[in-house]
Amino acid sequence: MAASPLLPPGEELVAIAVFAWPRCPRLCAAPGLPCGRPLSGFPCLGAAPCATPGVAGGQRGPRGAGPPWASSCGPSGLRGAVRGRSLDVLPRVTCPNHPDSILVEDYRAGDMICSECGLVVGDRVIDVGSEWRTFSNDKATKDPSRVGDTQNPLLSDGDLSTMIGKGTGAASFDEFGNSKYQNRRTMSSSDRAMMNAFKEITNMADRINLPRNIVDRTNNLFKQVYEQKSLKGRSNDAIASACLYIACRQEGVPRTFKEICAVSRISKKEIGRCFKLILKALETSVDLITTGDFMSRFCSNLGLPKQVQMAATHIARKAVELDLVPGRSPISVAAAAIYMASQASAEKRTQKEIGDIAGVADVTIRQSYRLIYPRAPDLFPADFKFDTPVDKLPQL
Amino acid sequence: MDADSDVALDILITNVVCVFRTRCHLNLRKIALEGANVIYKRDVGKVLMKLRKPRITATIWSSGRVMCTGATSEEEAKFGARRLARSLQKLGFQVIFTDFKVVNVLAVCNMPFEIRLPEFTKNNRPHASYEPELHPAVCYRIKTLRATLQIFSTGSITVTGPNVKAVASAVEQIYPFVFESRK
Repeated sequence: MAASPLLPPGEELVAIAVFAWPRCPRLCAAPGLPCGRPLSGFPCLGAAPCATPGVAGGQRGPRGAGPPWASSCGPSGLRGAVRGRSLDVLPRVTCPNHPDSILVEDYRAGDMICSECGLVVGDRVIDVGSEWRTFSNDKATKDPSRVGDTQNPLLSDGDLSTMIGKGTGAASFDEFGNSKYQNRRTMSSSDRAMMNAFKEITNMADRINLPRNIVDRTNNLFKQVYEQKSLKGRSNDAIASACLYIACRQEGVPRTFKEICAVSRISKKEIGRCFKLILKALETSVDLITTGDFMSRFCSNLGLPKQVQMAATHIARKAVELDLVPGRSPISVAAAAIYMASQASAEKRTQKEIGDIAGVADVTIRQSYRLIYPRAPDLFPADFKFDTPVDKLPQL
Repeated sequence: MDADSDVALDILITNVVCVFRTRCHLNLRKIALEGANVIYKRDVGKVLMKLRKPRITATIWSSGRVMCTGATSEEEAKFGARRLARSLQKLGFQVIFTDFKVVNVLAVCNMPFEIRLPEFTKNNRPHASYEPELHPAVCYRIKTLRATLQIFSTGSITVTGPNVKAVASAVEQIYPFVFESRK
């Protein structure tokens, strides 16, 4: 933002800094001479002897005596770079009056402002963000960014090659209509499979709207498994799906195997096998799933109100505590609890609907429901408002 | 407690798998044509011969290796294997009965109490693995004995191990842990 658009990052700003911007007419350093520091519309922080106050760019709070560093006419940012000095001096500035106060960065103006007194203690701070915004619905060929993608050093082991975009003018195509510069060849052959897997993982996670932290964890797991090579013969997609499952579990928001199956092309059996193999290879273990982990997701998918969801959570938890459903999968118990809670409230749902959402067969829900039905009055929470009284609950 | 468990618990051996070698090349086609009670699987190159007396199914390869399954005890497995070798001999092959080895023993055991699986898994973290979505039993592996136990919530336990002794000691080992997590 503060840098000129023609500037490749990391390069010395020599030429631009000197010629692009108007000069500060103030008299500092040498009396009688303008200090000639380049202005970009911001107040120039001159050294103490600078006489003219409040020139070009407007005031930004009370001005301090001058920059805290020793050099007489040494501004921050640009000029520092002009002289070939490193920009590392920048982050260590402090307000001269309040050395302990936190500096707030005003990115739009490129200033570092003291939060206590409002003094601008560093200006023309270079913004290293991207120069253009690129939206995902823009055509891929129009990407005006002149630097490569952000590196993913944790995962792809530092690939710095540049990709040249497709040509747009007439000159880039030879006589037959083929593009003259054929690019996009193997840029990272060693990690090609891994990058493919990461893409697949992102796609899968997108389909069920998983947040970025789970995707990152999945990528890390995949990398560990891939480097270990103990599961080399297995399909990468299967390992990716299993890693996704493990990541969801580890983050405390488990997804059922069937949910992962729905977004992956791999069968549940294969994902289960890979899951066990990965746990053995990485020597980790995961926590057991509980009924409460799935309640909020299933209930919102069914459109049930909060009271019903809380009641179902309570029922399922009580049922497991009282051990009414030994040997039943927590998913089936959760589904049966949701059925019971919804049938007791105004928002009734059929077994088939619940079975569709939970990925459980409706006979399974029936079986689990039969086990919890006898103790139904004990399972409901004390403050539940019954639309259908407990004795009128359906008996299957 | 442990002495009681030895007396009271019945460990029922349901399957013993053994292998042996005949030290001679076997002509599968001849066995298939002339042998009694045989099934010829040409696509995989095996002949299945089922014996009645010790109820045994033997898989015969042309290299001379034979695998017998279905026996209910180690001795029975040996009798069945010998009987099989004898029948192959009668078919005309120069059979020498060598390298007899019991490879796998599968046994079932019933605990008189039901078991709480989540609690059991938590107490036996590295050895026990429980995935209710995949299989309703806890899979407990004993590395030293090379035995695997599948523990169900009804109290029945399936043990597989390299021989009958390993299976018995596996059950003895698991008893105190399972007893802790009983209902």
